[in-house]
Amino acid sequence: MNVPHQHLLILAGALFGLGCLGFLLRRNAIIVLASVELMLNAANLAFITGSRIHSTAGRPSLEGPIFTLFVILIAAAEAAIGLALVIALYRLKQTAELDTSSELRG
Amino acid sequence: MAETLFYALALAAVGFSVGVISARSPMISVLSLLGAFVCLALVYLLAGFQFLAAAQVLVYAGAIMVLFLFVVMLLNLTDLAKVAEHPTRALGLPRVALAGASAGVLGVLALLASANVPSGSADPAMVAQGFDGLEPIAVALFSRYLLPFEAASLLLLATMVGVIVLAKRQRGAAASGPAKEAAAVAAASAAAEPQLEGAGAR
Repeated sequence: MNVPHQHLLILAGALFGLGCLGFLLRRNAIIVLASVELMLNAANLAFITGSRIHSTAGRPSLEGPIFTLFVILIAAAEAAIGLALVIALYRLKQTAELDTSSELRG
Repeated sequence: MAETLFYALALAAVGFSVGVISARSPMISVLSLLGAFVCLALVYLLAGFQFLAAAQVLVYAGAIMVLFLFVVMLLNLTDLAKVAEHPTRALGLPRVALAGASAGVLGVLALLASANVPSGSADPAMVAQGFDGLEPIAVALFSRYLLPFEAASLLLLATMVGVIVLAKRQRGAAASGPAKEAAAVAAASAAAEPQLEGAGAR
């Protein structure tokens, strides 16, 4: 694939921006978690592009793929904990709307 | 050919992402997220990262999506009448202003950063060979990155314990439906994690 690095980074930036908007604008806890996953995927794409930029012939830059692996791992842990929190919230409030939980507001 | 496919996949990924954040029901949102993950896996494949494409499909489109779908179906959040009870649609001005400001800051940062990106593309021979050969990755993971690798396994263990504690029925509380369902989620996530460990170890 002979695509300029910039175009890959533009795709990563667009996905991150959309995830950011979803995180800030939506109130459903599950959609908020999905937006976080979207942002992590955009970061992965940026890592991959970095690896493509810094690889020279015959010597691939391994930092990109390895960081991507760790990000995938963190994302799995985050999804497991986040969804368990959504279940706990639903048990408490019978809803997954985040705006119903404002007990900590000063 | 591959370039055309990349731009088509990029468009599809952005479209699915818009679907994720604009869907009315969480079910549609999560299924759009699945589409975005699959598009990104194909982009990884085209970009010369075969192993990461496989890991993306296994862990994201497999394990994480199953968790999401499981919770959406468990909580029956697709019930739109129930969703409509809460003011989900009315977005406050501060919230929209904050979102717009963050999008603007992101755009400025992206413009500043793009000045430092070298133009041109990756070496076609390298793309064909692949950037993430299993042997180099395994050697790097178990030598230079051994400490992060072990820390990651500790993190997964802590996650598993944390999910079990969160999902555990409160002492003295009657055995209710949601508690049992939460325990099932804990079991599902515990099943998903060894799969990831396996992907990392390879």
